Amino acid sequence: MAGRGGRALLALCAALAACGWLLGAEALEPGASAAGMRRRRRLQQEDGISFEYHRYPELREALVSVWLQCTAISRIYTVGRSFEGRELLVIELSDNPGVHEPGEPEFKYIGNMHGNEAVGRELLIFLAQYLCNEYQKGNETIVKLIHNTRIHIMPSLNPDGFEKAASQPGELKDWFVGRSNAQGIDLNRNFPDLDRIVYINEKEGGPNNHLLKNLKKIVDQNAKLAPETKAVIHWIMDIPFVLSANLHGGDLVANYPYDETRSGSAHEYSSCPDDAIFQSLARAYSSFNPSMSDPNRPPCRKNDDDSSFVDGTTNGAAWYSVPGGMQDFNYLSSNCFEITMELSCEKFPPEETLKTYWEDNKNSLISYLEQVHRGVKGFVRDLQGKPIANATISVEGIDHDVTSAKDGDYWRLLVPGNYKLTASAPGYLAITKKVAVPYSPAVGVDFELESFSERKEEEKEELMEWWKMMSETLNF
Amino acid sequence: MGFLWTGTWILVLVVHSSPIQAFPKPEGSQDKLVHNRELSAERPLNEQIAEAESDKIKNIYSPDDPDGLHQLDGTPLTAEDIVQKIATRIYEENDRGVFDKIVSKLLNLGLITESQAHTLEDEVAEVLQKLISKEANSYEEKPNKPTSKTESQSGKIPEKVIPMAAIQDGFANGENDETVSNTLTLTNGLERRTKTYSEDNFEELQYFPNFYALLKSIDSEKEAKEKETLITIMKTLIDFVKMMVKYGTISPEEGVSYLENLDETIALQTKNKLEKNVTDNKSKLFSAPSMKSHEETDSTKEEAAKMEKEYGTLKDSTKDDNPRGKTDEPKGKTEAYLEAIRKNIEWLKKHNTRGNKEDYDLSKMKDFINQQTEAYVEKGILDKEEADAIKRIYSSL
Repeated sequence: MAGRGGRALLALCAALAACGWLLGAEALEPGASAAGMRRRRRLQQEDGISFEYHRYPELREALVSVWLQCTAISRIYTVGRSFEGRELLVIELSDNPGVHEPGEPEFKYIGNMHGNEAVGRELLIFLAQYLCNEYQKGNETIVKLIHNTRIHIMPSLNPDGFEKAASQPGELKDWFVGRSNAQGIDLNRNFPDLDRIVYINEKEGGPNNHLLKNLKKIVDQNAKLAPETKAVIHWIMDIPFVLSANLHGGDLVANYPYDETRSGSAHEYSSCPDDAIFQSLARAYSSFNPSMSDPNRPPCRKNDDDSSFVDGTTNGAAWYSVPGGMQDFNYLSSNCFEITMELSCEKFPPEETLKTYWEDNKNSLISYLEQVHRGVKGFVRDLQGKPIANATISVEGIDHDVTSAKDGDYWRLLVPGNYKLTASAPGYLAITKKVAVPYSPAVGVDFELESFSERKEEEKEELMEWWKMMSETLNF
Repeated sequence: MGFLWTGTWILVLVVHSSPIQAFPKPEGSQDKLVHNRELSAERPLNEQIAEAESDKIKNIYSPDDPDGLHQLDGTPLTAEDIVQKIATRIYEENDRGVFDKIVSKLLNLGLITESQAHTLEDEVAEVLQKLISKEANSYEEKPNKPTSKTESQSGKIPEKVIPMAAIQDGFANGENDETVSNTLTLTNGLERRTKTYSEDNFEELQYFPNFYALLKSIDSEKEAKEKETLITIMKTLIDFVKMMVKYGTISPEEGVSYLENLDETIALQTKNKLEKNVTDNKSKLFSAPSMKSHEETDSTKEEAAKMEKEYGTLKDSTKDDNPRGKTDEPKGKTEAYLEAIRKNIEWLKKHNTRGNKEDYDLSKMKDFINQQTEAYVEKGILDKEEADAIKRIYSSL
């Protein structure tokens, strides 16, 4: 029986071969031609936005197309390579691409760090094209954004994982296939766990920002870090990002720090010092996404616990504890405030739904971008007007400081209120200023710091003056 | 077309051949028959006679009436007659390949549907069984294996002569005309005894949803031939699988899965082929720098998307590309780039930024593009061909 079965199979194969010969088609190579077919479809979609899944070659081409269309305001670069050698591509949009203009805040969007959470990746490709199109149409909001912000868009931090996920046959994608990078590392658990350190410091005393000095050395020597993780850490250290979002899938909520519970339990609201502004930032995203902010929305899965969700937002740890995530790493190692957006109940939904996801998220993505222009911003300089880099800007009542960038520029996101800001730097005398902060735009506050030596000189001069006066009066 | 058919059937039938040694004789290979006869000097006389008879029958076939669908008196055969004839032939030639051949021809000519073919098969089997048991009864001392030629030789001839004569005579009187009316009668005859099926009976195509959709979408005249071929092939293969299941060669589940795999594979290959045709047509439009309108609105797009998702195994451009796979890609990509560049130039012309006329200086732009594309190639953002294409486009402006 088995023999006959084998021969039957052979017969079938032979028949297939005959069919193939008959049709003059070549061996099974569906990808290339199908891709060619899809590419032609793209040209007839909305304004150059094709609502379909982009594999790595298409992703690259989509970004190149945006660049070609908007060479004056865009630039493509790569922060490194994935484990399998794919470039971690970023498209930058600003009125002076490639250049940090002093005082201009830097913003980033990162998608698809879990390779099978595909919606974010696509939304970011659509967003890049959209920003280019709207800029050329003269859309005031977009023009203003691009002139005043440096926007970095990385559609995929895990292109290897995406390829794995996308290669699954059929529409129903597995919940886990393609999530991790090619080495099997979950990138959103791979970052140095700074939350742990902060919680210890809270008890025993110690800083809660810019932890991990000497970061570059530590990162390069750490064998446990995936190449993608390393690339992002370098990226964070090199560019003074102010605000960021990390796009995920599998649920529908805007999630903010801290992600890890203080006590180590499974769920526990663990607020960070900037809880107020984070809630505001999260709402700025969720409120423009109709399904995310729908109070009557049922949970994605019947038994999901979404009790921590408020107005489409949640504290990370209150939802469930995540150690080693990228979001908190941003907050605790740099000036960047990052929020994690979960954009879809289904991690890899059918392609036909992409257009709807774009419609649902378009306004949120723009609204969140605009949040970078809030709070207080300005320059820290010395008395000669020279910028002071790495000066500390602290806010009374909020136990989290930011630092000034290379040009002395700083940005401090704050909810509306009255604040006392203090700028300080080693060797300089600190200065405190009072500020009233509206919802937006950001209030400009500059600091001119006097160094110790200058003060000493001043005092010496004062003393000499007094001595001179004394001696003249008393006729020494 | 006939040759291709032959080819396919040879492949199909060779492997499926029953344990006995009879080799199906494909149509049009009459020389082979001659050779067989010459080589079979040692074969029993009766067998050779039998073969000669059946050869003669074949040589008398007219193109219009290849299966001798007429009775002695020229009246059209009833369904029963046909069944009888086929069963008899199978019995004589000891090869059920005869049946397959006949049925395939009938299917091909559109005379019967595959369901009818199945009914036919059952009926032929019945009659065949009767023939065999009749044979066995007349020789009680020899337990007859119906498939063994040598054993039943002696008993066969007398039985054979009568039907053989009948057939022969029938052919002598056979008309080579009015195939049409005969065909109709034949069909009616079969239909009298079986359910009526619609002409395009795709009920078998429940296993072939993709394929069915593809067929529906093929409308153009050019593809009509392909469509026909595809349909015929599919029907054949369905039958083949059914036979395998029926004879226990494979399990029903295996059969279903073969068919499902088949569906996807064939539809895919057809898509590739059709696409290639369309792409070749589109390449003619490339030279015009103006905006093109693409009017692909057929449902094959969705099929392509579905299949792409199911079988998407695109190769990276970071790895060595399949050179063949690239032929379709550059055309769509270059068009996209062209479009983007056009928009860029248009916008730059409109917005000489900051009133500085120099900003829209085409040669400056070209330099910038050259520089940037080179840098991008170095960084792995563009590949060399893309960069060249972009530079070419700019230099042609």
